[in-house]
Parts: sequence; C-alpha cells; structure tokens
Amino acid sequence: MKEIYTVWKKELLDNLRDRRTLLTAVLMPIVLMPVILIGTFKLQEYTIKRAEEKVITIAVDSKQSAPTLISYLESQDKLQLSEVPPDIFESKIDDGSLNIYLGIPETFESDFSAEKPVEIKVYHKSSNVDSSSASQRVMVMLQVFNQQSAAQRLGTKGIPPEALMSIIPTPEDTATTQERGGFFIGFLLPMFLVIFAITGGMYIAIDVSAGEKERKTLEALLFVPVSRFKLVMGKYLAVATTSTVTIILSLGSLYTAFKAFPPSGLLGDEVVIDLSIGAIGIMLLVGIILAIMFAGMLLSVAIFAKSYKEAQNYISPFYLVAIFPIAIVNSIPDFKPTEPLFIVPGVNAVFVVKELLLGVFDVTHILITIGSLLFFAVTAIVIATKIYSKEGILFRD
Amino acid sequence: MLVVKNLTKRFGDIVAVDSISFEAHEGEIFGLLGPNGAGKTTTIRVIATVLEATGGTAEVAGFDIRKNPEDVRRNIGVLTADIGLYDRFTARENLRYFGELYGLGGEKLEKRIDELIHVLDMGRFADRRAGKFSTGMKQKVAIARSIVHDPKVIIFDEPTAGLDVLASQTVVRFMKNAREMGKLVVLSTHNMHDAEKLSDHVAILHRSKLVTTGSVSEVLQRAGAANLEDAFIKIVGDDEAKSTERARELEQLAKAGKKK
Ligand SMILES: Nc1ncnc2c1ncn2[C@@H]1O[C@H](COP(=O)(O)OP(=O)(O)OP(=O)(O)O)[C@@H](O)[C@H]1O
Ligand SMILES: [Mg+2]
Repeated sequence: MKEIYTVWKKELLDNLRDRRTLLTAVLMPIVLMPVILIGTFKLQEYTIKRAEEKVITIAVDSKQSAPTLISYLESQDKLQLSEVPPDIFESKIDDGSLNIYLGIPETFESDFSAEKPVEIKVYHKSSNVDSSSASQRVMVMLQVFNQQSAAQRLGTKGIPPEALMSIIPTPEDTATTQERGGFFIGFLLPMFLVIFAITGGMYIAIDVSAGEKERKTLEALLFVPVSRFKLVMGKYLAVATTSTVTIILSLGSLYTAFKAFPPSGLLGDEVVIDLSIGAIGIMLLVGIILAIMFAGMLLSVAIFAKSYKEAQNYISPFYLVAIFPIAIVNSIPDFKPTEPLFIVPGVNAVFVVKELLLGVFDVTHILITIGSLLFFAVTAIVIATKIYSKEGILFRD
Repeated sequence: MLVVKNLTKRFGDIVAVDSISFEAHEGEIFGLLGPNGAGKTTTIRVIATVLEATGGTAEVAGFDIRKNPEDVRRNIGVLTADIGLYDRFTARENLRYFGELYGLGGEKLEKRIDELIHVLDMGRFADRRAGKFSTGMKQKVAIARSIVHDPKVIIFDEPTAGLDVLASQTVVRFMKNAREMGKLVVLSTHNMHDAEKLSDHVAILHRSKLVTTGSVSEVLQRAGAANLEDAFIKIVGDDEAKSTERARELEQLAKAGKKK
C-alpha cells in the first residue's frame, strides 16, 4: 500500500509541475466550461434581441399613391420608409440598402375607399437573412392594418368587430421551466462532461506511461522491488485523481456561474436551472466514475505507446470514438434510450445526466450506468497491468 | 554472491544468451566482458529479473531469480544505459523517490542521499531540476539512484560511456570503494582495456556464449596473452573476431533500413 501511495504522490507532484497538465486539467474546466455554456445562452439571447430590434428599410414607388397605408406604416416603430423607383429596387435589396419593397397599385386609394380588395406585393429576397426576416414582420404589420380597416368598415355598418373572430388561438407551452433549461443544457453539459473526463487525465496518463519510456526512466523503475501491479495502480490512481479533480472543478465552476449569472429571457420565459442537491450529487458521482473509467482506458492505451507522440496518436481517435455516438444520439430530438444503451460506457453517463437535468430519477438507469462504468474501469486497469508486465512492450525497439 | 547457472534467454528465434554459467563473489570487481551484441545487457536484465529467463537460473545473495524476484531486486543495484531522470524533479527528489520505492524513508533515507551526493560529488546540482543536466551529471544521479538502497550486488553496464575523464574517475573511485566495503561490483563493458585494470575476475561473452571465465591472471595465462584483448582474439580466433564485427555491421544496417 505504501508503495502505491509513493508512486501516486510522485506522479501527482511531477505533473503539477507540468504546465500542460495544469492547463488542461485545472484551468480549462474552470474557465472554459462556464464560458462556453453561458456564452451560448447569452449569444442566443443577443441574436434574438438584435433581430427584433433591427430597423426595417422599406420603400414604395410614390408615397402619394396610397396615403392611408403610408400613414399607417409611418406610425410603426423600427420602420424606415422611403421612395424608390420600381426599376432599381431589386438591386437595392441585393446590396442590402433596402429590405422590403411594396408594390402598391396606382388605383389603391380609390379601390380602398370603394372597399375593393387591393393586392399589395411584398417584394423580399428569401436568400437574404435581413430581407426575409423583415418580410415576416412586414406581413404581420399589413395583417394588423387589414384587421383595423376591416373593423372600421364593420363599425360603420353597425356590426361589432368581434364578429370577425371565430377563434382565438393561444399557444401554451407544457414544458416546465426546468424542462426547457434541462433540454438546453442537457445537450451541451453532458458533452462537456465527457470531454473533460477525457482531457483531464490525458496528459498525465501519457506522462506516467509513454512519457516514462521516452525519458528512459522506465527500466530504473522496473528494478525496484515493487510489483508491477502496484506501480500501475499508483500511476492509475494519479490519473484518476487528476481527472476527478477536473470533473469536480468543471461542474463546480459551471454551477457557480449559473448561480451568479442565471441565463434568462430565452423564449421569453425565465429559464431556471434549479437542481436538487440529490441530482447534483448523482451527477457528480456519475461524472467522477466516468472520469475514473476514462483514466483506466487512457492509461492502458498510453502504456502501449513508446513515445509521447505515439501515445497522442493513439488517444486522438479514441477521443472521437468516445464522443461520436454521444454527438449522434444527442442530436436526435426526443430520443428515449432503452435500457441496454445504459451499458455503453460514456454514452450511458450522458443519458443519466440528461435525465437528471430533466428532473427524472431512474434508479435502474443510474445503477446500470455506475455498474457498467466500474466494470470497464476495472477491466482497463487489468489490461494496463497486463501490458506493463509484458517484457516485449517494455523493451521493443 | 552471484551464481549464474546455464542461463539462457531467447527473443523469438534470436538466442541472446546461450546457457552461460559463472560465479562472482563479495569484495571483488567482476568484469562481464564481450564485444557489442555479445549478450551482456541481456544477461544483466535477466539477473535483475526485468526479463524472464528462458532456461537455467541465477542466484543473487542467496535468492533465486525465478523464485524470489523481489528479494533479488532488493539486493541488487543496476545501472544500464537508460540513465533518464524525472526532468521536473531535482536530483535529490529523484533519489528520494527511488529510496522510498526501495522501502527506505525518513532520516535514514535523507542521510543516505546526502552521503551519495557527497561521494559522487553532486553537491553543486543536487537541488536543481534534472531537466537541464549534462550527460555527466545525469550519469552520476543515475548511479546514485541505482545504489540508493545500499545493495550487496552492484551491476554497472557501461558506466563510463559518454563521461569525461574527471567524471569517469569519480565512477572508478566509487567502484573501488564499494569493493573495499565488501560489495560485489559487476562491471559490464566492451572495453577490455579498462576492465583489465579494474577487475579481479572476468567472464568473457561472445555471440551469446561464455568464452572463458576466471581471474584475470588465469585467463591471460591460459590464453598465453599479454592482455585481455589479445586473449579474447586468441581464444575466438582472428577471423572469427573480424567476421563478428562484419556481421554486426550488416545487422545494424539492416535494422536502420527497416526503420525507414
Ligand atoms: N528486446 C529484444 N528483442 C530482440 N532481440 C534483442 C532484444 N534485446 C537484445 N536483443 C538482441 O540480443 C543480442 C544481445 O544483445 P545485448 O544488448 O545483450 O548485447 P550487449 O553485449 O549488451 O551489447 P552492447 O555492447 O552493444 O551493449 C543482440 O543481438 C540484440 O540484438
Ligand atoms: Mg549492452
């Protein structure tokens, strides 16, 4: 036991002096996780707000031809009306100086007072983002104008304007605020959890195994009267400690960041991410076991390599293999994972975290996930010890 | 102190050590000699239990390499060509880590480390990080590391390779001191000239086989030669010595070619 502790302590201290480990295992989770997740929220809020607040540039051939409609449009907020000859409006929409052109017939005023319907052409360019979003807003304005003038006409005929309304459609969202927030970070948070479970232990895993071969300290280590299992165990625990710290730091800093700057205003409603202590505890537990499992996998992959470079080459695809299914499954909306899927390491942690964020406590899913992750962690350590005990791996050139 | 019996090591088809036997005792410097590729390093690795013997066995301080590998390792200190250190650790920290792995600790370990720093003349750089050390500095720390647990048997594989005259002398002085203190020092080298001056007994390997063993004077007398180098050439034959060298060169070239 003492030897395992000696190796563990040495590897941690050694890697604490390595800038790469400090950067990827400590600094990145503290800074990056909240910045990316909160940044995404804020960016979305910002783009929605910006689109709503943008002033629409709209033009007609001649303001005189339709004073009723023009005075209505001029009373609208965030709308800038001008006169543009019909032969050049298209090029103006193309160069962005104009969003919308209204084609109003010359007979508008007389037809309007004769209560004949008048066709108004709303020229826009659907391939241009500003123009197409402006056209939606202009269409709404014209519909409101339509309703107002219709109500006026009915009023003069003594009919109440409600006669026009047969139904009043009102949208009601059944998702609770927790669900809306849960779905949103349910997408990004589990993804980052997996990424940090890997990156946290990556450099130290390479350093204690392939790094030792590259620096040529391995043979001296093998001369000591300590079993290979204990050496591997000490190294493994150092990797697991580092990735566990990374997970705790990233979840902790994320939680603090959400408390300090609650993301609000999404979809109009306040999105509250208010997790119970129990949910946070399980999420942390799953995250830690995930990190512990990846620590074992990383170590057995890196132990196989001769040099730092080779180890990195082995680990990069391993990264993709771990993240790819998660990315795919994550992008399927309303995906309901079946129980066997909770056996797949990595993917299962994503599902459990997602469920917890949605306020679901499924004990079976949680237990299968923890069991599977522990099983793979132990398997990985056994493999790493086996590889470490093989002389060919140590002395091949 | 060290008894080698019919020791054999194969790597697939290659026989690196072919049924060699010799004995070495406390209080002597024992030369394990032979040209490049003779099998010296492999013999040492099998004795140190990091490679498993294919056949035969060896005993170190009464412990069998097959039955009690951890006891063997406790009683042996080995220096090989891999003298890498932990770059982010100071020389002292490097030594402390290995001392702890050998089961030492506390005051006793610190005193032992101070002693080694003094004996190997490492005071100037003992508390600096090893990353920037010269070959000579590294070699000294690696030597100290291999004997931090004060083993009964010390095996040095090409200990002065890459060292300047001064550093080489420090190492030679250390080996002589260890002999005075009753240790068995096994010096493995291809440089028979250097080994002859230091060794009490020798074993000469050639093409994985033991060619001869005994005290230096015995070996010289038997071969009727003036020095060990002559003795080696007389024993294996002039042509054989040359063809060995040629075969080695070809092998080296083939290896280099394969890597590309
Ligand atoms: N891990 C290995 N796998 C395959 N062959 C090996 C291995 N280690 C050594 N050999 C081969 O065994 C033979 C003996 O090598 P060894 O390193 O023991 O010789 P040596 O006497 O120490 O030589 P040198 O003076 O060059 O260090 C060589 O032919 C070498 O190529
Ligand atoms: Mg050698």
